[in-house]
Amino acid sequence: MDTWVVAMMMGVSIFLGGLGLIAFLWGIKSGQFDDEEKFLNAVKFDGEDDLNDFAEQEKKQKQLKKKQNYKPE
Amino acid sequence: MSDKVACSHCHLEFNENVMIKDEDYYFCCKGCQGIFHLLRDEGLDRFYDKMGNTKLSPPTQQYEDSENFDSPAFYDKFVRVNKDGFCEVSLVIEGIHCSACVWLNEKALHKMDGVVSADINYTNNKAKIIWSDDILKLSKIVDMVRAIGYDAFPYDASIQEVRANKERRSYYLRMAVAIFAIMNIMFIAVAQYSGEFTGITQSMKTLFNVAEGILATPVLFYSGWIFFRGAYFGLKNRVINMDLLVATGATLTYFYSIYISINKLGEAYFDSVTMIITFVLVGKFLEVLSKKSIADSLDIMSKYVPDNINVLKDDKIISKALKDVQAGETIVVGSGERVALDGYVIDGEGSFNESNLTGESEPVFKKVGDKIISGTISIDANIKYKATKDYAHSTLAGLVSLLENAMSYKPKIQRIANKLSEYFSGTILLLSFVTFIIWWLWPHSFAEAFMVGISVIIIACPCALALATPVATLVGLGLAAKRSILFKEAALLETMAKATVLLLDKTGTITQGKPKVINEKIYYKFDLSLLYALVKNSKHPVARGVLKHIEEQGEIRGVALEHVKEIPAQGIKAKVGNKVVLGGNAKLMQEHGVDISDVSEYTEFYFAYDGQLLAKYELFDIAKKDARESLGKIKKLGVEIFMLTGDHKSSAFKIASDVGIDNVRYELTPQEKSQIVTDFHNDGKIVVMAGDGVNDVLALALSDIAIAMGRGSDIAISVSDVILLNDSLTGLRDAFLISKRTFFNIKENLAISLVYNLITIPLAMAGYIIPLIAALSMSLSSLLVVGNSMRIKFSFKDK
Repeated sequence: MDTWVVAMMMGVSIFLGGLGLIAFLWGIKSGQFDDEEKFLNAVKFDGEDDLNDFAEQEKKQKQLKKKQNYKPE
Repeated sequence: MSDKVACSHCHLEFNENVMIKDEDYYFCCKGCQGIFHLLRDEGLDRFYDKMGNTKLSPPTQQYEDSENFDSPAFYDKFVRVNKDGFCEVSLVIEGIHCSACVWLNEKALHKMDGVVSADINYTNNKAKIIWSDDILKLSKIVDMVRAIGYDAFPYDASIQEVRANKERRSYYLRMAVAIFAIMNIMFIAVAQYSGEFTGITQSMKTLFNVAEGILATPVLFYSGWIFFRGAYFGLKNRVINMDLLVATGATLTYFYSIYISINKLGEAYFDSVTMIITFVLVGKFLEVLSKKSIADSLDIMSKYVPDNINVLKDDKIISKALKDVQAGETIVVGSGERVALDGYVIDGEGSFNESNLTGESEPVFKKVGDKIISGTISIDANIKYKATKDYAHSTLAGLVSLLENAMSYKPKIQRIANKLSEYFSGTILLLSFVTFIIWWLWPHSFAEAFMVGISVIIIACPCALALATPVATLVGLGLAAKRSILFKEAALLETMAKATVLLLDKTGTITQGKPKVINEKIYYKFDLSLLYALVKNSKHPVARGVLKHIEEQGEIRGVALEHVKEIPAQGIKAKVGNKVVLGGNAKLMQEHGVDISDVSEYTEFYFAYDGQLLAKYELFDIAKKDARESLGKIKKLGVEIFMLTGDHKSSAFKIASDVGIDNVRYELTPQEKSQIVTDFHNDGKIVVMAGDGVNDVLALALSDIAIAMGRGSDIAISVSDVILLNDSLTGLRDAFLISKRTFFNIKENLAISLVYNLITIPLAMAGYIIPLIAALSMSLSSLLVVGNSMRIKFSFKDK
């Protein structure tokens, strides 16, 4: 019974830690930490407008990609 | 009196009456006004809130045609097509002052139709832009950047740089996984080992083993992948390297631990597996971190070559692309322009700055019939000259190709730790195998024999050996960086410590590079402001030297001069009222009938008013003030010092005796300088070369260690291995001292880990050490090495 409790606790904590690790790895992979200055300053440029701009840009990217793929090569 | 008002765009402050007033806003120039309105129309005026109090530089409007960016040649060189079919280019954005600038550029580009993404790095101002070429041309993107007050120019994101970044990122990922795993395993290990003393059930042990095993798996196969790869490549080249030792040790222990866990034989050794991998990985990462990021190819050289030059055709000046100009064409060069082709003067005269080729700051006077050399700059000359060669055969192009060759022939000096680890790894693997065989044949169970064999590998502690060099060099590099000495690569410390010959360029390296007034003779008292107003009109280094001298003397008021004329190779002539003011050399005075008597060995500058000599200044490019002492210290370390200069014999020897150098080579061309480096190499010497100019670049590229002055030319810095940011020779001395000390420390570290191994390996072979203790003592030896490296810091504390 004891063993089971310890196993569960360990499982849960390693799982949670693993989630954190995966988030961190994702951050490194997507280049969020490449430019430390920008990364630190990003807080200043966080607002509703910026969020909207970002969403716009993502939409635009998708459209452009679609267009590019439809193009007969 | 009017108050100062800040420009609404660039925030620079000017008097109110000179500003352009527009509604409630003030602008310092049309450029700022234009940008302000553009940003407001585009809805980007949030920029100003973000920018805070940062001051920008106002936009300049002299841009070359952006259509150049659309030329096929440009696309060929700088634009890549990515897998989605979009175009990709790397640009350097000029004029970025703050993070708001980055924001503005990104936003402005994102607003353009066709731009997929624009990502600007704040630290190095490099931008990566991806766009769809069907919708938008690159020139439009560049126009946008310029329209909002910045400038963009392309750079070749060299393959090496991209690869280096990728490698670094991969190390980050692997280390993150390894460190996460090792921290969790340590927790579990505490329970596991304390259970050993307080009593623990086998089922609990198995649970811990399984948990450790799960955590250790990604560490071995993901983080440790680097070692498997390294071992594979090592074997392919028939070298037994440290990677093989680490990989075998870790893998064997891992599988043995699985065997223990399944058969419930007690504690597994997954903690040892992760510990070895993590420690050695960190050591390797430290090495990668301090590796030289190879300069962005030789693109910097293109800064020295104008794209277009003015050619005279049928009495008309037309602009022609450099590579289209043939030998025999007539080229027009104005003052301040750069000469791209070799030739001879057919019309006009004036001074040229040939410091690119000779390293000397003294301008050279050219008249009809004289040779013009590519790469030089016209100071005040407006001449026409006939090209004798096309660009591909010019002196400048020759220099570039020589340089490219030199870079690829850079000598490689094998590092002591690498050599050592090769022998070491082979020996250990052999010993452990022999141990296993002997134990097994001497009747022991397979498990027992296997365990002893593995303990030999673990105890052999590749960690301490792997950490011996990187930790010491990192401490050394940090110490050097604090003294404004930048090593581009860690391994250079070792090479520098072994150096036997130091070659020094004269101008700008030993000397200050600018003539300075060392004597002044005032014949009649006069108003300094008059002289100040006169010399301000010249860019000639002598005039600059005098100007600086006067500035140091104090109060100067404005004096209006008329008819200011710079007479090439003589000086400046001007009028105040109807009196003639003269400032220049002896020749100028003689030609205007001013009586001069005494002659000195230094460069002279005379000042005369209305035919009357008022003052004489003697100028000399004097040695840096710490030169003698620092060079003396370096000599004491057993390094031979040579001075190489393109200057004349007399001034070369004068400086040499001032700073205490006995060996002088003078009147050298860049090629001769590099030949000297090669000669020393042939004698088996390790050569350190310090220089600052384009004329030193070849020699720098060939030497084992190239040291550039921080204020030197870009190209010199880019081929160099070490950069002295504060330009001083004390820095040079410190670079030598630090590298010697660090190298000594590396040797100590290697000795420590070897002595440690000599004691523990026989114990392990005799079976006295179980893997648990092996793992513990492994950490101890690593700590010893790290601690010893820290001693470098203390030995430099007082200096």
